[in-house]
Amino acid sequence: MLAAIASRLPRITGAGVVMLLTAAALLMLVGLPLLYVVLQAIFPGWSRGELAGAFGLFVPLLSDPALLGLLGNTLRLGVAVVAVCALLAIPLGALRALARVPGGGAWDLIFLIPFMIPPYIAALSWMLTLQPRGYAEQLTGFSASGFLFSFSGIVFVMVLNVFPVVYFAVSRTMMSVGGRYASAARVSGAGAWRAFWRITLPLSTPGIAASLLLVFALTIEEFGTPATLGAQAGYKVLVTGIHERFADWPIDIPGAAVLSLLLVMLAMAAFYLQHWLVTRRSFVSQTGKPAAVEPIELGLWRWPVLALFGLVGAISVGVPILAVLATAFTGTLSGGLTPENLSLRHFEALFANRGGALQALSTSLGLAIGAALLTGVLGALVGYLVVRAHLRGKGLLDLLSLLPNTMPGIVVAVGLILAWNQSWWPIQVYNTGAMLLLAYACLLLPYPVRYASAAFRQMGESLEAAARVCGAGFFTAFRRILLPALAPSLIVSMLLVFAIASRELVASLMVAPAGMRTVSTFVFGQFEQGSPGVGMAMSAVAIFTTTALLVALTVFSRKRLPIAG
Amino acid sequence: MFPLKALAFGAGLLALPGLAAAGALTVYSAGPGALIENLAADFTDQTGIEVNVFQSTTGQVMARLESEQANPLADVVISASWDSAESLHQEGLLHEYLSPNADTVPDFLKSDHYVAQGVSALALVWNQDSSVPQPADWSDLTDAAYRDQVTMPDPAQSGAAFELISGLLTAKGEDATWSLMEALADNDMIVPGPNARALNPVLQGAKSVVFGAVDYISLGQQAEGEAIEVIFPESGTVIAPRPMMILASTSMPEEAERFIDFVLSEQGQARVAERYLMPARTDIEALRPTLEELTLIEVDSEAMNAQREEILTRFREATGS
Repeated sequence: MLAAIASRLPRITGAGVVMLLTAAALLMLVGLPLLYVVLQAIFPGWSRGELAGAFGLFVPLLSDPALLGLLGNTLRLGVAVVAVCALLAIPLGALRALARVPGGGAWDLIFLIPFMIPPYIAALSWMLTLQPRGYAEQLTGFSASGFLFSFSGIVFVMVLNVFPVVYFAVSRTMMSVGGRYASAARVSGAGAWRAFWRITLPLSTPGIAASLLLVFALTIEEFGTPATLGAQAGYKVLVTGIHERFADWPIDIPGAAVLSLLLVMLAMAAFYLQHWLVTRRSFVSQTGKPAAVEPIELGLWRWPVLALFGLVGAISVGVPILAVLATAFTGTLSGGLTPENLSLRHFEALFANRGGALQALSTSLGLAIGAALLTGVLGALVGYLVVRAHLRGKGLLDLLSLLPNTMPGIVVAVGLILAWNQSWWPIQVYNTGAMLLLAYACLLLPYPVRYASAAFRQMGESLEAAARVCGAGFFTAFRRILLPALAPSLIVSMLLVFAIASRELVASLMVAPAGMRTVSTFVFGQFEQGSPGVGMAMSAVAIFTTTALLVALTVFSRKRLPIAG
Repeated sequence: MFPLKALAFGAGLLALPGLAAAGALTVYSAGPGALIENLAADFTDQTGIEVNVFQSTTGQVMARLESEQANPLADVVISASWDSAESLHQEGLLHEYLSPNADTVPDFLKSDHYVAQGVSALALVWNQDSSVPQPADWSDLTDAAYRDQVTMPDPAQSGAAFELISGLLTAKGEDATWSLMEALADNDMIVPGPNARALNPVLQGAKSVVFGAVDYISLGQQAEGEAIEVIFPESGTVIAPRPMMILASTSMPEEAERFIDFVLSEQGQARVAERYLMPARTDIEALRPTLEELTLIEVDSEAMNAQREEILTRFREATGS
């Protein structure tokens, strides 16, 4: 297959080699663990090196009537979260891109924070806030456990976790589409609304569709929220079924592998739907000419708009963070929110560094930066390969780059272990920190690839052609022409990768080498051992450190990072 | 941009330590984390042998062992589920060793291939600030006073909770056990997941009682000032011993045996006691009620595990979870 790719590569100096390396990296990073999961599903004894009983598990598992229920619940949850996300985040993103919203770039930073709160911490925070005798009831006498432990409650918490994906995609895409075409429409006599509905929104379709696809994949793959709230709501999904097979003795890895393949197929269906949507017509809207976006002045409307942004910020960021802080700063949970119960003991325990808390923090930050850079570079190249290269099999590469998003973290982790923990590898990667980097890069590669390929779809090919006519080679053209045009989308996606990698839990639990802890495994351990206070203290430290790091980065390179607005 | 990138990349590389120290002993342990960390540090102090610890839940530890079968890395495994040790032994994966320090460990807590590190028991945990009276026995919780106030760990996800169901089945018989479960479910008991998830709502007061909590976690929290009471029912409860074992695939059996010896030494067992577990050795003082003080239900684990699937299915039917 590699040879086939090589023979069909565009004939630009150096490009062939780069593209070949890119395809090889993608196959190794994503294809290899996926292959091992497939093999494990087909051959139940694969992890022991046995090939007996091929396909033996498919029939009994797939004919289980309970499975249909899980599948239906998963689909229903995915569709609901996508719909609510679209309703919430598309208006927010459009306003941010096209209008002068008071606060401007600050909102981008604020809406990045939900991503840095691990989903299970967010779910736990909402539980601590809304359940009877929770923080809300202690402060205002209001509790809403009926709502929280229901389908709507699960959708509510999940939307708050993932809506930034859509918000960022919409605002970045519309910023780059926005200006000129809408202005042209206005000149031709269209009103502001008409220009938006007929020009800006349709031209932004690739970016929006790609981000909604990510949300769907993220939702059906997410474990923390359904596990925390769903168990009480009696709402089970495929992922909880997969995790149950890992949760207690005896472990059923082959069964989990079969169920994971189902999830992967669900996501593939969504992928083809999205693919059909965005390749039906051309969305080329970027010619490389500088297009200053002239933001709409909101006038008196700025107050309701500000109120909307403020409300979403308060609910998605304020409530979880306050609940985390409340738990971290009170001595005991049963003592509640009283002045006598105020205590620093959880932080003291943390900084006494008993469980290697600070080491865990630096490990997580280092790995998150590494993952962001690795996936950023690879994502840009894969995005280019998928959109621009004229070669057969690129659809497969595109699909491959999305699949990790649909595979539960635990399955990717098992695939990675099966693939890398083999004595015949010349370099032993397993049981080193590199496994975590591989796991994060594999799980998070879809973000840069989605964002980059959506950006390439909007970019006219004439830009590159012009560069080539002027004598630029592939590397020069990529660095001087494509990369700058790509930067806004790519950097946002890298920030998302950083944010998610800094708190990834499920795969970290599986592949972290003995003796190494990350923030999330540390926090999870504290909860498991009944020290929610220390766990929340660590979460607070981690959330504030990562946010501070992003703010510093933004301030440091204010002109270069579009996130500063 | 580029100097920044280079800097960040450097930071990324620095955070990746190289290969795990050669010659170090690798220990996979179920929680509590502080216990295994203290044990490992003390052991290194005493012997100079480095220890790499992977600490997680029993499920995670076992999932990792299972997926590493092609090339096992762990030398010593400590689990919170006695049956997991028996299963590994049946598969021939365990190294035979009986520590000389295990002399005062009761016979039912040791075999030629594995031995208990410590023992926990299952209990009722009651929030003192709640509006419901303090319960004394399992069946009290079917009373209308406890409507919507009870949580229980899921026996499918908590080995200890499964042990409790097995114990009740042994002591009360099938009919009485399942009608107890149905009555609890009718009283709106929730089954929210593994142990910590059943306990947290009770700590904050959203619920009032845990049916079948692992005792040492709650005893530790009580010592830290949480307003909870740990109650061992008079009608009897079950214990959950925590087996330690050496994998047959280990490349350092001698060091692994020394580690087991150390955990069973007076110093090691004192560390176990510190975490409110019962030490496996009867001659070490515990900070909590011990085997002699509790009313225990004898469980035929082997028979119960043989019908694990049926029991779990029946449990799900009874509780509607």
